Formats: sequence, structure tokens, C-alpha cells
Amino acid sequence: MNEKSVEHVVTAPPPEAAEADPAGADRNPVKMRTRGVNVHYAEKHALRDVSLDIGEREVTALIGPSGCGKSTFLRCLNRMNDTIDICRVTGRLELDGQDIYADSVDVVQLRASIGMVFQKPNPFPKSIFDNVAYGPRVHGLVADRADLEQLVEQSLRKAGLFDEVKDRFGDPGTSLSGGQQQRLCIARAIAVGPEVILMDEPCSSLDPIATARIEELIDELRQNYTIVIVTHSMQQAARVSQKTAFFHLGDLIEQGETPQIFTNPRDEKTQGYITGRFG
Amino acid sequence: MNYGAILAALLVLTVLGFYLGRGRARAAAGRGQSRLHSLPGYYGAHVAIWMALPAFTLFVFWISFQGAIVEGIVWNGLPDRVTVLGETKPRDALPAEQKQLLINNIRNYATGDVVSGDVTALMKQGAAQYLRLEALSSWILAAAMAILAAVGLLLTYRSIAPTMRARVRVERVALLLLMVASTIAILTTVGIVLSLLFEALAFFTKVSPVDFLFGLEWSPQTAIREDQVGASGAFGAIPVFAGTMLITVIAMVVAVPVGLFAAIYLSEYASRRVRAAVKPVLEVLAGIPTVVYGFFAALTVAPMIRDAGAAVGLSVASESALAAGLIMGIMIIPFVSSLSDDIINAVPQALRDGSYGLGATRSETIRQVVLPAALPGIVGAVLLAVSRAIGETMIVVMAAGLSAKLTVNPFDAVTTVTVQIVTNLTGDPEFDSPKTLSAFALGLALFLVTLCLNVIALKVVQKYREKYD
Amino acid sequence: MTDPADSVLIEGQKEKVRQGLSRRLRAERRFRAYGVVAIVLAILMLLFLAGTIAANGYSAFYQTWIKVDVFLDEELIAPDGKTDPQTLREEGDFRGALIESLVASYRVRGREKENRLIAMFSTDAERTLQRHAIANPRLVGKNISIWVKASSDIDQLTKGAIRRDLPESGRKVKDVQLVWYDRMAAENRIETRFNTGFFSTGDSREPEQAGIWGAIVGSFLTMLVTLILAFPVGLAAAVYLEEFAPKNRLTDLIEVNINNLAAVPSIVFGLLGLAVFLNFFELPRSAPLVGGMVLALMTLPTIIIAARASLLAVPPSVREAALGLGASRVQVVSHHVLPLAMPGILTGTIIGMARALGETAPLLMIGMVAFIVDIPGGPTDASTVMPVQIYLWADSPERGFVEKTSGAVIVLLAFLVVMNASAVYLRKKFERRW
Repeated sequence: MNEKSVEHVVTAPPPEAAEADPAGADRNPVKMRTRGVNVHYAEKHALRDVSLDIGEREVTALIGPSGCGKSTFLRCLNRMNDTIDICRVTGRLELDGQDIYADSVDVVQLRASIGMVFQKPNPFPKSIFDNVAYGPRVHGLVADRADLEQLVEQSLRKAGLFDEVKDRFGDPGTSLSGGQQQRLCIARAIAVGPEVILMDEPCSSLDPIATARIEELIDELRQNYTIVIVTHSMQQAARVSQKTAFFHLGDLIEQGETPQIFTNPRDEKTQGYITGRFG
Repeated sequence: MNYGAILAALLVLTVLGFYLGRGRARAAAGRGQSRLHSLPGYYGAHVAIWMALPAFTLFVFWISFQGAIVEGIVWNGLPDRVTVLGETKPRDALPAEQKQLLINNIRNYATGDVVSGDVTALMKQGAAQYLRLEALSSWILAAAMAILAAVGLLLTYRSIAPTMRARVRVERVALLLLMVASTIAILTTVGIVLSLLFEALAFFTKVSPVDFLFGLEWSPQTAIREDQVGASGAFGAIPVFAGTMLITVIAMVVAVPVGLFAAIYLSEYASRRVRAAVKPVLEVLAGIPTVVYGFFAALTVAPMIRDAGAAVGLSVASESALAAGLIMGIMIIPFVSSLSDDIINAVPQALRDGSYGLGATRSETIRQVVLPAALPGIVGAVLLAVSRAIGETMIVVMAAGLSAKLTVNPFDAVTTVTVQIVTNLTGDPEFDSPKTLSAFALGLALFLVTLCLNVIALKVVQKYREKYD
Repeated sequence: MTDPADSVLIEGQKEKVRQGLSRRLRAERRFRAYGVVAIVLAILMLLFLAGTIAANGYSAFYQTWIKVDVFLDEELIAPDGKTDPQTLREEGDFRGALIESLVASYRVRGREKENRLIAMFSTDAERTLQRHAIANPRLVGKNISIWVKASSDIDQLTKGAIRRDLPESGRKVKDVQLVWYDRMAAENRIETRFNTGFFSTGDSREPEQAGIWGAIVGSFLTMLVTLILAFPVGLAAAVYLEEFAPKNRLTDLIEVNINNLAAVPSIVFGLLGLAVFLNFFELPRSAPLVGGMVLALMTLPTIIIAARASLLAVPPSVREAALGLGASRVQVVSHHVLPLAMPGILTGTIIGMARALGETAPLLMIGMVAFIVDIPGGPTDASTVMPVQIYLWADSPERGFVEKTSGAVIVLLAFLVVMNASAVYLRKKFERRW
């Protein structure tokens, strides 16, 4: 994909930053690593010097008041910001130690490894089956129809949607309820076989019951996938995540184990946010 | 008396009425009896409206019907035996065309226009009467308008009092006028339908609708005289419809891919700078008058295609359907591209993000997500473009042929509905001949087909927009 | 903890994606190229059209003149010895005088050659002589040297549109005329000048005398009528529909109606004009008044739609604020909403008028297609308009009319450019984002 309109200035990370492990002792190996990430939208400095480690097969929650840059940061992780003309990303972002903004990396490949689920469920105006089959088809992952059917079924099962839709694969994806649509989008992402799944406030447009189902699902998926979730709900972050990072006005204020952030935050601003003094 | 002068006088009187009314209202307020209900200007406007409106309405009606009435009186004032085209006949026994000819000549002579044939004493007599009556009529009109204005002034002026709700009354009239204005669109449609229907029905009394709709032979020229061979079978419109379709199809083959791809490129790929530069260029293409396209097609493109065909051994008519269709297609490119651009932009960004997020490339996203989502809207846009192509006149009048030929060969010359309408109605249209009336039957067919296309297309596009709003 | 099915899925994935990559990127480039090709095609067509018109049309703006020595022979131009303007105008045989002098200068013998020689000059030449003589009566009986218009063929020869290297039979200018022409050129008797006549006269059968001033005046009168009718009515209709109309069946009908009317082929409006204005109300044929009425009906939907859009763009807060101060709804609209919406409405009106200015087909229906030499003096005089003039000239077989047609196209496009540019300027200047 040729996206020349975006300028990537990739600078080497400062040596000491690379040595230090900001997240402290980690049980899981680091899947994604970012160092000194800055994002500009035209003149606006949206994200300042973000350095964060994302552990493998665990859920990392990004929290903070709206406009704090958490969604912007998430979209940097699979280069979704490339589609925005005026957006400029600098700093180093790695997946398994490889710079994802390097010239040799193709976004197509990158996004096949790092899937994404969006704030509003956005099923394609196609059948349920075709929605899930879309990714495998464009990437040429399956050889024949039988494999494809198997893959779609597996993906729907993993997204916990199979039993609800098994009799109506041909119905349009938009005919499902909001929560089902969001799980369809998760199934759609899983079908490509990613290692990381990014979720941008996946429950913000859903009712509490649908939200609970998605949260359960996230917890199950954690067994196999590295998950980064942006949420505006602190309860949700506390429920589903193992690590939490708090953003405020474009700065990464604090990161750490979720229980520690919520019970014993080191920064005043974090304290203020989680106790509801601003947000 | 000159109509312009009458209107100018009415305007002056109305302005005078305004100041009178406003003055009286101020005076009434000045006496301090009580506060005026409305600003003084509204009282003035109230007076002005009732002076101008009835008089002006009368004026419009008078002008519309005075011609026919004056002619009727002139006609009845002519001697009982009249000489037309060298023959003297009883006046009441004249055939309709000759009566019309005589009246036209009288009117033309009176207004100093060209008269067909020699000026006769009869014409001079009629024209003198005509002029006398016209002068009389305009004096009566002026007097009647003056009386109406005076009555209006008197009634409204006397009613001025602080308690009168002048603003409310003025606004009610203003609203009424606004409403009348908005119904003109409906009147236009009614006028179109009635005039087409009326003349087309006259045509169908001469030519059966079945022959018209299913006949395979179109040659209106041969039917001028009724004793000619084939006069009755020459109005089969199928070749004309087929020619229209052929040229439309060629135009669509050019316009749809080019317009659609241009729209896709502009909305999905182009940077702001490119978009800002290219869009005006396409708009220029849309703003060029069709007569210019027609001239270009006839002068440059048609000979070019003919020569190119000759070079490879094809015989191409110099008024080939290909040339007209090609240029029409170019004319329609901006139409397709701007409509498609709007429609593609209406596809929510979330769908694109969903596809990009799965690792699809741009073209995969466009082909498999954006275009299927936009399909209904694009179909609507194409239908509108087809309707434009069918109704386009000047390009085909200048670059397509006149003879109706039933063919699908784009190198042949074909004719279209609009070409036939223009050729049958320009020059010296003979009224009531099937040739002239056939233009209205074709016009009716054209109107109905384009109306259906437009209604369907607008519905489809509207439904589509609602879906993503 | 890994589910075995997962590993299968994830394992081959990276390799498979990589394998497909180059094919997909090629497809991507190809698809993108289609878009570029489409746009380039459209731009090339525009350039081709503009280039053709400009190449054919620029020469319409200048014209060939020839200097002739003429003996203003009294016997021919003032047979009874009087040189007052009226005699010269009515009785002077200036054509005879011109022929006589030319025949003498070029020593021509024979009827055919004489005709060839005089054919090199426009019929306007004798009128030029006449005007000159009327202005200077004392020159009668003397030799004068005067510049006159060349005929269209000679004009085309000068401009290179008639080629010398063709065989004589295929060429409008014959060999003998070429000899005379070369002699004139050698004597510096040939020059080209700016074609003022093109901008000051009406139509003519002779290309070198044809001008578009009549059509420009006709277009102006027609547009004036259109504007006077369509703008107030369109504005009123838009204000009613957008600000006052109750939501009911009738207004829905009007709305659908307006949208459809905007897409009705223009020629249908011509048929309406013919049937209603000409045949029913018996208004004069070929008159700007009727043309303007037809175009007003055609332009009305455009103006209404544009005006409604700009009224809709005025935020409700403006209306609420004014209503809150006790203004009536009519006052709110006329004092607050309309002024804010006016730039947009004017822009829409200008664009609609530009379309009407380029419109031809409906005017053919109401007889504005006649050959009219005189400059129209009012909206009821017979006249033609610029696009119809282009159509008429495009139909003329003479070579000289090709450049006149293209020249007229250039003038028409210039008017359209000015109108559209002013619309763009207006939009830019008053553009307001709420």
C-alpha cells in the first residue's frame, strides 16, 4: 500500500529508555514496545513521548478523559492513522522487536497481525458469513470453500456468536443487534488470525448485558491473543485488564498493573481521574 | 397607450399610496390617542398592496386574453365575403388554416411585421380596426386599473387607525404571495403535461398510437401531402427510440466508467491538493454549453472518427452515432462523477476503517466494501445520467443524423427523439400537420420516460442517503 | 493454554499473507491507475475541446482589409451632379465606381475575370466607399485611396485556412485571384486588423460581415427577463417552502415536483413555451420576452433548490433569538434569515443564469432560430441569442463561418467564465461556517 501522504520520522530511541522497563517486573514477555511516540494532527500535538510496553496474551487497558490521546495511540499500533492525511507519527513502535513503521513493513501485513475492533460496530453491508470471510479472502488464507466455512465457524465460535447465527449465515450483518454486531466484528478480526487485537471503546455503544458478554469474551480471548483496549469506563478497565495505562492531555501519565493503578496510583492526576474528580 | 407606461404609472401611484398611508399612520400616532399596533411603514405597505395587487392582477389577465378578444371582434367586423389566396368565399365558410392565416396577416400588418402574400384591402381594413381596438382596449385597461387603485387607496386609507393590525394584514398577503410562488412549479408541470397531452392527442387522431409506438418506419417528411404514398405509415417511432437508445448506450459506456473511476480516485486516493485542482476542471466540463459540445462533435470529432474508420477500412457515416454518443458521454462525465463522489463520500468512514483494520488494501476496500455499499446510490446516479442523455438535444441535433434507421451499428447515422422534435418544429411549422404534431407525441414520450427515470432515481438516491444519515 | 485449532490458523498465516502481497499490491497499483487514467482522459478531452475551439476561433477576432485606389466617378455616384448625403445614399452606384476603378487598375478584361476581381472584396466595400463619400462630399470626382474589407475567401486565404497548394479546382480562391492577391500584398495593400465589426453588428449571410452583437443583445434581454421572473419567484417559493410551509401532502408534492422539474429535459420546456406562450397566449415568436419566460421556468427549480439549501444552512439559533425578541415570523425571515442566506442564494442564481445563458434547445422551439440582422431594441423584437447564433453559424457551409462559430463560442465561454467566477468569488467571500 502506498501511503506517501503520511510522514514517518523514525528516530532511534534514547538508550536509557530502551534499558529501563517502565512497566516494572513483567510476567509475560513484551509483545509490543513503543518508545518516544509523538503524534501531530496538522499543528496540533496530540501525543507526547509515549513509551509503553504491551505484554503478550494479556489485556492492556488505555484509560483517560476524552481527547487525552488514548485512541490516537491505539490507532498508531496498527498504523490506522496512515489513512489520515494530516497525521504525522514519530518515535519507535515495535511488534516482536521489529519497527512497524519501517519501510520494509507493509501495512497490509502488519494489520493482518494486529486486528482492530472499533467503537461503533461496523459490519459490512454483506451477509454474516461474508463479513467473517472477508479477511481470509482478501489475504488468501484459505484454499477452498470447505476450509473457509470451517474458519468462519471457528471464528464465530471463538467470538461466542456461532450459536446465535448458525441458522442464518446468509442474513446481512447489519440485521444483528448491536452487541451481536460487535461480536461479529470481533469474529471478523479473529478470522484473519492476528496476534494482537486492538479494541477502541468496543462497548461504548452497547447496553450493559451486551457489554458483559463482550467483557467475558475479552477475558476468554486473552488466552490466545494480546489485547489492547481503550475504554472510558474505569470499571471495565478494572474488570478486564491486567495492565492499565493512564493518558492525560496527550501524555502517558502512569502505567502499571491494573490493581496497583486503581488502588494505589502514584500520580495525582491518576488519583484524581479514578476517583472521579475529572473525566 | 403603452403597457410599460401603464405599469410605470401604477408603480408611481403605489409608491405615493405608501407614503400617504405611512403619513396618516404617523399622524394618528402623533395625536397620541394610543400606541400604533404596527410600525407606520406597515400601514403604508398595506395601502400600497391593495392599490397595486388588484390592478396588477387585472393587468395580467387583460394582457393574456385581449389578443383573442380583439381578434374575434376584428373577425366579426370583416365583410361577409372575404378574399383569401385569390379566392372569394363567404367568411364563415373559410377553412380553419385560412382563417388563421388571414388573422395572422392582419395582425402582422398592423404591427408592421412581414405579411405572407400580398397586402389586400381586406387586410388594411382589418388592421385599421385591429389598431383602433387595441388602443381602445389599453385605454379601458388603464382606466379600470386606475379605478381599482383608487378604490384600494380609499378603503385602506380610511381604515388606518392605531388599533388596526396592519402588520398582520401585510404579512398575510406576503405569505399568500410566497405560497402562490411556490405553486408555480406545480403549474409548470401541469402546463407541460397538458400542452404535451393536448397536442399529442391531436396527433393520435391522425396516426394511431399503435402505429406510433410499434411502427418500424419513420419518415415524417413524406406525409406533408395526404395523397402521397405511405403518408399514413410513416410515423413508426421505433427506429427513433432505437437511435436514442444507441446513442445513450454509447454515452453511458464512456461516461460511467470514466466518471465513476474519476470519482473513486478523487474521493479515495487524491490528496487535498489534487482534489482542489481536479474538481474545478470537471466542473468546467459540466459548465460548457451543449451547443459547444455539439459544434465540437460535428466539426472535429465526427470527421476524425470517419477518417480513422476509413484508414482501417471501415465505412463510418459522417454523422455517426459513435461521434454523438462519445461527445455526449464526455458531457455527462462530470455529472456522473460529481453524483458518485457525493454518494461514495456518504459511505461511512467506519466501514472503510473496518476493512483497513483487517489489512485490506485500498482497492480491496473500495471494490469489496465501499462500492457494494454505495451501489444503490450509484445506480440512481446512472439512471439520472441516462435521463440526461435521453433528453440531451443540441449534441445530437448537430452531430447525429436526420434519417431514422433501425440499427445497432455505432458507425451508422441514426436519429433521436430530440432531433426529430427539433427538425419537425423548426423552419416553417405547418400547424396541425401530423409532422408538427408528431413532435409533441415524441415530446410526451420523452417527458414520460425521463420523468419515470428521474422519479425512480431520486427515490433510490434519497433512500440511500437516509440509510447512512 | 493454546487451543490446537488456533495454532493451525495462526501458523501459516504470516507466510500466506506475505505470498499474496506482491499480487495484491500490483492490483492496487492497477486500480489506482484506472482512476488516474479516467481523470487524465477527462482533462485531455477538455484541453482538446478548448484547443480546437481556440485554434479555430482566435482568427475570428481579426480580419483582412485591402487598400484600393478608387476614382469616385461623378457619373456613377452622383449622376445629377448633387452630392448631398441623400442623393449619395439613394442613387450613388458605388459598386459601379469600385468595379470601374478595379478593372482599370488591374487591367481586367472579360465578364468572368471582372467578377473574380470584385469577388475579392466584401460587399461591405461599396458601403465603406459610400460612407466615405457622404462624409467628404468634396472628394466626389477625385481619386481616393481607401481601406476596405476583403471578401471572406480572401480573408481565409490570408489566415491560411484556404491553402494555395491545392489544385485550383479544389480551392475557393482561383489562380488569377492569387496573382492579384500577391500583387496587392507586394504593394502593401493588404493588412489585418482587429475585427470590430464582429462585436458591433448583427448576423449576416456574408461571414466577413457577420457579428454577434445582435446575439449578445438578444441574450442580454432574454437573461434580463429570466432574471426578473425567476429570481423573485424562486426566492419567494424557497422562503415559503423552507420557512413557512406546513409539512403536508401539498408541500411534499411541491417538493417532489421541483426536484423532478430540475431534471426535465430542457427541450420539453421549449415545447411548453411553444404550446402555451406562442399558440395559446399568442405572444410574439422569436422574442426575448418568450425566451426569457421559458428559461425562467427552466431555471426556477435550480434557484429554488439553491436558495433552500442556503436558507437551511442558517442555524435555527438565529431564528430563535429573533423570535425571542418579539419579532414576527415574517420579520425574522426578512430581517435576519434572508440577509444571512443571500450570498448563497445569489450564487445559486448566478449559476442558474449561466446555465440558462448557454441553453439552446428550448429557444429553437419558440422560433429564436431565425436569421435576424437587426440588433433587437426591446424584449418583444425578434432576436436570437448567443448559443443559437452558434448553432446557426455551425450549420453554415462557408469556411468563413467556422472561425466565426468558434469565435462566438469563445465569447460565450468568456461570459460564462465571468459569471461562474463571480459566483465562486461570492461564495468564497461570504462563505460562513456555522
